[in-house]
Amino acid sequence: MSAKSKIKLYILENYLFTDDNSALNDDDSFMAQGIIDSTGILEVVFFLEEEFGIKVADEEMIAANLDSVNSLVKFLERKQAA
Amino acid sequence: MDSLLARIEQRVTQAGEQPCFVMGGPVTIGNAVSYAQLWRQARQVAAFLQSYHLSKGDRVALVADNSPEYAAVFYGVLLAGGVVVPMNTSAKLRDFDNWMAHCGARLAFVDFTPREMQKLLQEPRPTRFIATNRRADGVVPDEWKSALQADWDTVLETNPVAAATETTTDTLACLIYTSGTTGNPKGVMISHGNLLANVESILAALPIQPGDRFLNVLPFYYSYGNSVLHTHLVQGATLYLENSLMYPNAVVARLQSEAITGFAGVPSTFALLLSRGKVTEHDLSSLRYVLQAGGAMAVPLIREVQEKMSRSLYVMYGQTEATARLTCLPASQLDAKMGSVGLPIPGVTIEVRRSDGTLCAADEEGELHARGGNVAQGYWDNPAATAETFVDGWLKTGDLGRADADGFLYLLGRRSDMIKSGANRISPLEIEEVINEIPSIEEVAVLGMPDAVLGQTIAAFVVMKPNQTLDVRAIKKYCLDNLASYKIPKQILAVDALPKTASGKIQKHRLAELIEEKS
Repeated sequence: MSAKSKIKLYILENYLFTDDNSALNDDDSFMAQGIIDSTGILEVVFFLEEEFGIKVADEEMIAANLDSVNSLVKFLERKQAA
Repeated sequence: MDSLLARIEQRVTQAGEQPCFVMGGPVTIGNAVSYAQLWRQARQVAAFLQSYHLSKGDRVALVADNSPEYAAVFYGVLLAGGVVVPMNTSAKLRDFDNWMAHCGARLAFVDFTPREMQKLLQEPRPTRFIATNRRADGVVPDEWKSALQADWDTVLETNPVAAATETTTDTLACLIYTSGTTGNPKGVMISHGNLLANVESILAALPIQPGDRFLNVLPFYYSYGNSVLHTHLVQGATLYLENSLMYPNAVVARLQSEAITGFAGVPSTFALLLSRGKVTEHDLSSLRYVLQAGGAMAVPLIREVQEKMSRSLYVMYGQTEATARLTCLPASQLDAKMGSVGLPIPGVTIEVRRSDGTLCAADEEGELHARGGNVAQGYWDNPAATAETFVDGWLKTGDLGRADADGFLYLLGRRSDMIKSGANRISPLEIEEVINEIPSIEEVAVLGMPDAVLGQTIAAFVVMKPNQTLDVRAIKKYCLDNLASYKIPKQILAVDALPKTASGKIQKHRLAELIEEKS
């Protein structure tokens, strides 16, 4: 399974309680759509760290990195390339 | 007549081109709205409503996150003589249908960005909708057009009204729905007099000054955020809007970069900022006042706010039924009266009473009763709930507490089993009602469990019907479809039976013990 699929499935299962891929667009803003709240985003960070072996610094916890499936994937790719 | 509208209009005359709201990012053209612009928009909303034959006292729903448009609609409805009904933007379709039917709103201003809001447009409804938002490209999607009465551009093409519709102190201004079950919605009736009384009381208690730069994270649709909005505009401050605490770093960075002078939060706001916001790495010396309300905050967290954010922390206590605030503990007395929510604010009287109605002695626990110009008129179209809570001019708060020998009040819990999670007051009944709709569930009990950040989280205990197995995800999905996300139980556990008294009342304290044993 690709990183993108894993991330999307995690969001679907844990915040939308479904495995229906069409329930979430890859560019949907977690914040604007009310999908994830302030405590949920920390769980997403823990998931990224555990699943992909990266370390997310506090200053990297910004909307540009974490607010959609696509932004999460791009952030992960940057972290893995560094 | 003196009123909140008159006070703001007076400020608009003085503040004129000063920024009233600043959205995310630095203050630039397009990112800020001046007092004059806000007021023109409010007067345009009023004229637009009058063109739709809004009569005095007609309810108008408002479903939008914090924005200049929110404020323009709020004040515009009041200018037109209507009653504004702000609704929680994280609520679900069934809530909106329930509230709009209950208050009989013919018109609703809605930010249709979230998908849940777009569902309102999918089927014909008795309420007609006006969009407050525009997409970045300025286009209103075609699929919305047929269902929309108007978009925001249409509102802004209207010639502004010249003057406000005449009102009196008792004229109804606002309905705020607090939690309630489908059959028992509680819309708190706040009058023009209530709004002004509470604004005056709060301004007498707090050091808000013209020109203050206030960073706002509180939703305006709740009474706390509602009071922050009015008090700061009356006083001529600039509100910097930050609509999410998802990224505490960004909030703290903005406190520094904008040299913010005022900030307000609920206990979970401060817990999040202090645990994840790198507060000590930022210069927050511009902060002149920090406000806390929305439930009792633990003393260690109060001390941490004092040490790491500001010594000028004002602890307050209030209720929607009191328009907003009831008490204040000034920063100067915080150390001497640590753990107290302070004294009644000017114009408010509070008594601590025994269950037989007699007054408690100093330090004796009882229920807090409040009286003052800020105490609401009752619950809209709900005489039973009104009679229970508003008695002989007094508000029965449902909060248990004590007053020390100097009159300082201390909160000791709630008389009811309402759950307080973050800033939200949640009725367990409402969640039980939804879970009970799931065919495989025989019975359910919902209660709050202690949580370090949110104060409480929600736990649901379910008894499955014979031959049915627990499917946690399916229950959460059903909750997500029918309840605001903050009402979804974090823990769902199956039990063989719910513990009950001989008379059949569920013993929730025994369920709480069960979770504690498991953890």
